[in-house]
Amino acid sequence: MSSFPRLARTGHTSHCKICLSGLPFSQVEVDASRIAVIFYCLGAMDLLGTLSAKTSETDRQKWRDWFWEQQTSGKYGTGFKPSTYMTPQGGNDEYSDYDIPHLVMTYTALLSLAILRDDFSKLDRPGILRFMRACQREDGSFSALPDGGEADLRSVYCAFALSNMLDDWSGVDVDRAVSYIQRCSSYEGGYGQTPYHEALGGTTYCAVAALYLAPSTAHSSPETRMTPAERARTIRWLTQNQTSSGGFRGRTGKLADACYCFWCGATLTILGVGNLVDSTALAMFMAQCQYKFGGIAKAPSERPDPYHTYLSLASLALHPSREGDSSWDLSPLNVFWNITEETARWIKDHIPGYKA
Amino acid sequence: MSAAFDDSSDEQQLYAADPEWADVVPLQQYEGVDPIAPIFYSEEYKDATDYFRGIVKTGEMSPKVLKLTEHIIRMNPAHYSAWQYRYKTLIALNSPLKAELELMDNFAIQFLKTYQVWHHRRLLLGALRSVDVAVRELAFVTRTLRTDTKNYHTWSYRQWILAHFNDEARLWPGELPWVEELLEEDVRNNSAWHHRFFVVWQSGVRRDEVDREEVLRRELAFTKEKISLAPNNQSAWNYLRGVLDHTHTPYASLTSFVQPYTVGAPSDPEDSIVDLENPRPSAGAELPSLPALEFLADIYEAEGGDGISKAVRIWKSLADEHDTIRKKYWEYRIKDALHGAQ
Ligand SMILES: [Zn+2]
Repeated sequence: MSSFPRLARTGHTSHCKICLSGLPFSQVEVDASRIAVIFYCLGAMDLLGTLSAKTSETDRQKWRDWFWEQQTSGKYGTGFKPSTYMTPQGGNDEYSDYDIPHLVMTYTALLSLAILRDDFSKLDRPGILRFMRACQREDGSFSALPDGGEADLRSVYCAFALSNMLDDWSGVDVDRAVSYIQRCSSYEGGYGQTPYHEALGGTTYCAVAALYLAPSTAHSSPETRMTPAERARTIRWLTQNQTSSGGFRGRTGKLADACYCFWCGATLTILGVGNLVDSTALAMFMAQCQYKFGGIAKAPSERPDPYHTYLSLASLALHPSREGDSSWDLSPLNVFWNITEETARWIKDHIPGYKA
Repeated sequence: MSAAFDDSSDEQQLYAADPEWADVVPLQQYEGVDPIAPIFYSEEYKDATDYFRGIVKTGEMSPKVLKLTEHIIRMNPAHYSAWQYRYKTLIALNSPLKAELELMDNFAIQFLKTYQVWHHRRLLLGALRSVDVAVRELAFVTRTLRTDTKNYHTWSYRQWILAHFNDEARLWPGELPWVEELLEEDVRNNSAWHHRFFVVWQSGVRRDEVDREEVLRRELAFTKEKISLAPNNQSAWNYLRGVLDHTHTPYASLTSFVQPYTVGAPSDPEDSIVDLENPRPSAGAELPSLPALEFLADIYEAEGGDGISKAVRIWKSLADEHDTIRKKYWEYRIKDALHGAQ
């Protein structure tokens, strides 16, 4: 199959490197979630195996230092803020109400630091557990910020992934969160962002990953949190989302979008049926989403961004096609944390408190 | 007071040069270590956010803070700290929240995909506690959905309003007719189908819908009719399955409806007796309908015994001919059914 396209590894690495060096003002919205964007860039290079060759140790040290500057402590506990966009010159001893840590940023900060092979000696573990407690709400959900803001399945997933990385579940009420997740289940088989909302690929990943991540409690275990009928319905909906383009859509009736190749495909993997993805059709779709100057876009002939670049590569790592040549070789992915297996091992060896 | 900053106006004067702001000490952004992925701020943005950090430091809540936060939000609608501070200032100043809501109409259209825009509205509605305002908001959402019929935030907001105010007399009654209008325009609008499910099945029982048997009959009739118009419309089939699952109605009760959709060509019109309960595929429909084949296979599988081999035959045709992208899924279903039958 000599006609099978190639994965433009060099182009994707340089797309990420360019973003790490700076973003134009037109991207100013990213400031409020900058750690996540940095994670996508580092994560993509980690999957491609280009991080150590294409960045210097001096850079990586500077980046680690920058990340630790985003760890911040105060009345709600400790976590990471998205960037210094609200931090005044001179810094804060304690964060103000408008410069507080963010749950999703805390999750992506730990992943990024692990990619950079930090030893986590600066991690305030008890502070993070306290922060998670401050984020959980009465209905079991988590808000991204302790004093309000968006509360949905994404934050629930991040709290669960963090607890799992820390190997300490004392920061969350698992049973309450599990019943919240179950309330987000839609008749179609996917999960909405919050209860009663339309089934969506990204939040379905968050829901299912969280259900499987949490340890057994007196009320539920990973095996019983979905009934066989629910599991079958979810698998049906997920596979239905692979469209004739080869890519996955995030909702019934929508067009395929590269990021949903990860969210839907990864959920199938968690459910033990990742092999149901047509991986060759998927690779063909991704090949078309590649931008001519590097990076991967959400759909053919769109502009690339780190988010779609990372998630596309992550999905290709989970569902490699046998047709692809060595340009498609990527590091194996840990589907629960959304990070390479090697970095996941680093996390297991360095993040849990009892190992510190 | 909520005098809108017109973002199309000429050169924005810098706060640093504005006498009204002379009493505020601007605070530059901290950049200790070399930042990763720094954003190359414009002068205007840098100036505004310097003054915002200054305001946050002193805790000032005044009308000019409303102007400043509006200005920042227009440049960066994802700036959640500016949103938070703006809301607290509105409350502290006892500002007319309805005027704020009107200002937000313009924001929502411009920044339809930004979560904060919708979150702010929820806070305002929560503080206003007025069904009149909720009615106005439903009308606003209706208008907004005309430009983007599937916007997730907009739909979520509508569902939140309905659940939060839960007003039987003034909010709920319009929902079903409105969903029907939307499906009339686009029968494939999955968000509208989802909303129908929410309204009919998940949000409690409406006053005139106490007879659930009757509601089930109505929903089945409605869905069948929509399927007859577009037999491959997955959204309608998913709704149908959702209704049957929710009410524990066996799929087999729809066998005679489904069958005509599973054959290659529309059956001879001469032998088709008009059956109002089971509308036939519309003329020119693309047949067989894949969702109908899948549905029939599910009926056969549930039958067990000989049904299994009939289901397997259908799944094989899906895997090899009609739906090859899901070949592995159909083969998985075959394996699963045969394994279960042993
Ligand atoms: Zn996407």
